[in-house]
Amino acid sequence: MSFQQKNITVSLVNFTLILGFFLFRVIQMLQSDSFTLGNIFRLWGITIGLAIVVTIIGTILTHIVSAIIEAIRTGKDDPKIEDFEDERDQLINLKGTRVTYTVSSFGVFLSMLTFVFDQPSLVMFTLLIFFGLVAQIVGDISRLVLYRRGF
Amino acid sequence: MSKSHISNNIRKLRFLNEEMTQQHLAEKVGVTRQTIIAMEQEKYSPSLELAFRIALVFGVPLEEVFSYEAETEKTSKA
Repeated sequence: MSFQQKNITVSLVNFTLILGFFLFRVIQMLQSDSFTLGNIFRLWGITIGLAIVVTIIGTILTHIVSAIIEAIRTGKDDPKIEDFEDERDQLINLKGTRVTYTVSSFGVFLSMLTFVFDQPSLVMFTLLIFFGLVAQIVGDISRLVLYRRGF
Repeated sequence: MSKSHISNNIRKLRFLNEEMTQQHLAEKVGVTRQTIIAMEQEKYSPSLELAFRIALVFGVPLEEVFSYEAETEKTSKA
């Protein structure tokens, strides 16, 4: 598994956990009748903040763990990690981003449809962040599939 | 409908060049080892620039490293 694949796997796990946390909180709100616009905006903030912090920490940890594993494997004090993106990595990344944007656009469209069915705006905001997280997860999965297939 | 296929002799050329490792070739042409593996398994076709760099490392013309086959599906006419 290359460094890029490890990074994507860590991102996939992180965003799946964040999605799990988001759904758990929404279900909790629905059960306790606290599903309000104020609470949803607070959850938005927490989710986006978590996504940024966890992504940064995940990338740093992937670097450290990869360096430790490489040092043990090669027995060198200053191991070399292939953490640069070559043309294949860039192409896979672009394809993954395209998948993320496609799912995200579809999600925004579905979220807007809630207005057609006379749903309150907090349903739209909940669906927006939900599809944002799902789009990131689907994009990461497509990147991993492309790495497995070769391109 | 036509199907294109690019094959290569990278593996053979590596062995002819003092059994050059995939890692060594990757470092010389500036890509990751995974990309060399993908190319050898013919899962990935490199850019023209990378193809020229690989040919340059082995010191052979481009057509000795890569070859292109176009298979054309013939539709039967009644």
